[in-house]
Amino acid sequence: MDMGRFFRKLLRRGAMHQSIEDELAFHREMAARHGNPIPLGNTAVIAEHGYALRRFSFLENLWRDVVYAARGLRRSPMLVAAALVSLGLGIGVNATMFSLGVEFLFSEPSVHDAASVLSVRFSGNSHSPHQVLDFLASSGLFADVVGENEEVFSNYNDGAETRPVFGVFTTKNYFTALGVPMLHGRGIAPDDPDEVAVLSYQFWQKYLRGDAAVVGRSLNLDGRMCTVVGILPEHHRTLIGFGYTPDIYMPRYLESTILAIYARRKPDMSVPAARAALAAVAKRLDIAIPVPYKYEQNLEVSPIAGWARLKFESDTLTLAVFFALLLLVTGLVLLIACVNVASLLLARASARRREIAIRIAIGASRGRLLQQLLADSFLLSLLGAAAGLALAEFSAMMLARIHLPLPMPISLQITPDWRLALYGAFLATASMLACGLLPAWQALKESISRDLHRENRMRLRRVLVAAQVAISVVVLATGFLFLRNLLRATALSPGFDVIHTIRANVNLPPSGYTESRQKYAFDEQVLSSLTALPGIESAAAARVVPFNGGTHFMVDLVFPDNGQHQRARFDWNAVTPGYFQTMGIPLLQGRTFTAEDRGRQVVVVNSAFVARYLGGRQPLGTVFLWGHDGKTPYRIVGLAAVTKIMTIGEAPQPQLYEPLAQIDNDRREIEFVMRSAIPPGLQLQPVARVLHRIEPMAGAEVHTMYSSIGLAFLPSQVGALLMGSTGVLGLLLATIGLYGVMAFSVARRTREIGVRMACGASRGDIARLVLRDSARVTLAGTVIGLLLALFVTRPLAMFLVPGLKPADPVNYAVAALAITVVALAATCGPILRALRIDPNSALRDE
Amino acid sequence: MAKAAQPALLQGTLDLLILHALQRGAMHGYAIAQTIHLLSEEVLKVEEGSLYPALWRLELDGAISSKSGLSENNRKAKFYQCTRHGAKVLAEQEATWERLSAAVSRVLAG
Repeated sequence: MDMGRFFRKLLRRGAMHQSIEDELAFHREMAARHGNPIPLGNTAVIAEHGYALRRFSFLENLWRDVVYAARGLRRSPMLVAAALVSLGLGIGVNATMFSLGVEFLFSEPSVHDAASVLSVRFSGNSHSPHQVLDFLASSGLFADVVGENEEVFSNYNDGAETRPVFGVFTTKNYFTALGVPMLHGRGIAPDDPDEVAVLSYQFWQKYLRGDAAVVGRSLNLDGRMCTVVGILPEHHRTLIGFGYTPDIYMPRYLESTILAIYARRKPDMSVPAARAALAAVAKRLDIAIPVPYKYEQNLEVSPIAGWARLKFESDTLTLAVFFALLLLVTGLVLLIACVNVASLLLARASARRREIAIRIAIGASRGRLLQQLLADSFLLSLLGAAAGLALAEFSAMMLARIHLPLPMPISLQITPDWRLALYGAFLATASMLACGLLPAWQALKESISRDLHRENRMRLRRVLVAAQVAISVVVLATGFLFLRNLLRATALSPGFDVIHTIRANVNLPPSGYTESRQKYAFDEQVLSSLTALPGIESAAAARVVPFNGGTHFMVDLVFPDNGQHQRARFDWNAVTPGYFQTMGIPLLQGRTFTAEDRGRQVVVVNSAFVARYLGGRQPLGTVFLWGHDGKTPYRIVGLAAVTKIMTIGEAPQPQLYEPLAQIDNDRREIEFVMRSAIPPGLQLQPVARVLHRIEPMAGAEVHTMYSSIGLAFLPSQVGALLMGSTGVLGLLLATIGLYGVMAFSVARRTREIGVRMACGASRGDIARLVLRDSARVTLAGTVIGLLLALFVTRPLAMFLVPGLKPADPVNYAVAALAITVVALAATCGPILRALRIDPNSALRDE
Repeated sequence: MAKAAQPALLQGTLDLLILHALQRGAMHGYAIAQTIHLLSEEVLKVEEGSLYPALWRLELDGAISSKSGLSENNRKAKFYQCTRHGAKVLAEQEATWERLSAAVSRVLAG
């Protein structure tokens, strides 16, 4: 339609209506005055013509159709209920996944002009010492440079109890430079003293009962009295995102705190230009602050918000692919729901055949009738969308409420926004067409020539059933794949205890620790002090802890017993004797290191090492030549269980442990692990104090093991949960739909069955007839579905734990079997009904 | 016999005539009918049954606009005026008409 005309109609409607009769009266008056003949004819007809011109006939007809459809639907509450449940679930699950995806991928941190803020990582390190940040700020390259350490534990003492809380250390310009909106009070200002704090809404509600008067009062944090200067809004989104919601923000006051660097680029500087300029700054930085690794190497610069972030960060890209797949699968679930409703509407359309035939006979246009028939599905999908969005809103509320079993405060802030509204409208439209177009078209065709299209209708229904079977197979295969992935992933253990353990990363100062001996002496002193702490059961030192980097060796092992050379690639670690007990790594054979081993070259290897490199030898006592010269004999004294080293999903990796006392230790960095009998979060401060007392010059970071590596588990578990539950929902909908469609298609053949029985068909013949029919349709659908599933599941490989492949035959077998069982069950009921058909009444039926 | 003296308007020419009449300035419906009547030397007579629907349609199409004003005898009336878009439509229709009438004349002459 011409847009100009549309708006003129809209705007001038009232005025035009008013003037029609006046205008005609004036015309007649003038004619009379001039002595012309007064026009003949009916002014009412002319006025009616004028009104018709000004009416929005399309919209007004639509409204009439909707009212008519509503009246009709009120008479079939079962249809409405079935559609409401099917479409509501389908649209609800889509909307929920959509808003989850939007939140994860596109949520912007609560800062002013997030698009201009970059995350800067020198030498690929997420955090750098504050000197680096100061250097960058003084370079004048950026409008502002801020830093935060987003994971600091702090002890909050409310006068009665001490609780560990999650804190963020920030530079003092953090709030002003980023422009963080506040609920009460203000952010930390550059000229504030160190003893100030900003609270999160959640902390403020939980511990201070949301009392606004708390601004200006002091809280005891780590024994320091800090003045609360402001409260953040409820929906504050942090820079790192993912729903991470720390409790308290404080100015950085410890010299050793390392910081993640964020910089706001100047308005005229592009991201690539910023990257190029940063490389130059990093070069100067390497001269100003020399470190063993170069700041210039692996320099990473990425925007923190929007599409731009996705382009720069490969993890978020993986996440985007995941959500795209999730939306595809949930989209298929909705399609199943639509097919359910479509087959119900198809039945209804058949029943309305006579009415439609009459309307065509008295001159209704086909477009007009199609619109009227679509009004049914329009109403149903509108209802479904309303129910679905309500469901999504409810589940978002539940998601925000649920305390995720994570070591850090995560609260997903899913708020319905224009994107969700748009997507909801899209879903409603798509499901309206998917539900309504086929049945409406079919009804029209049938009414024009009913006998001609009777066969056609049966064929269409079969196509629908086959399509539904096919989609169900795809959804099932995908859902089942993820369900298995979930089961495997939760059963996957890192191979060591992450719940009761604490990890301390210590950087020794260069002076006084040049010799391995000095370092080991420090280690032993720390270990004896740590084990003296109440609640610490055992402690150990190690070169590295799993999931935090590692050392790989690729060497030739020589076995002196037969002179065999064995190329071996393994992960290497050096630990103190208590390591295996503290980490909860089972020793399968032999023993750990002892003090008597000093001076002798002994190793502990894991079972993957034995399986891959020992060539069937008994591990204990086996000797191989290795070392700097390749001639030092090493003896295996113990066999440890496999632990994961880099990722939770990896295949078992060969690993070799040496005693820390036996190696030439060239590193000043050392890891301590402890096992605690009380919740490890409470041990962090005492441990930090011990470390500080023994060597005040050493930088130490103390974390619970879980918070140190816990995030490694999160994606696969959440992903599997979402996909798995979608698959189950899909199966449920498909079962209901399949049953309904099968039952209906047998019911439609009542007459035919009656005739056959009257002609002498036996019950067996009838059963075979119906079974063969549904078997053919199910088989066709299953084959198509399996082929489709092969394509759809291929990109899923990246989310799967090892040993699970998208093209797993078990997966397809289960999906096909489940569908066959459902189809059989859905056919049996109708067969029994068909067998009870009385030929006489069946023939009288139509 | 009167029918022979007053030929019916050809389909589609009414718009052309209305737009042409409105080139003389804003006028109300009756005046438009009179103008066409007089200009055709009393051959064409535009009935209200076709005039007003045509005016309303032209107005919706944006070819003419209307505002209320006072008639010569001080009665409130609706005055129509040709818009810029209307001038374009008029030019097109005039060209089409000329082609058509020339073609018809050639046929009749041949």
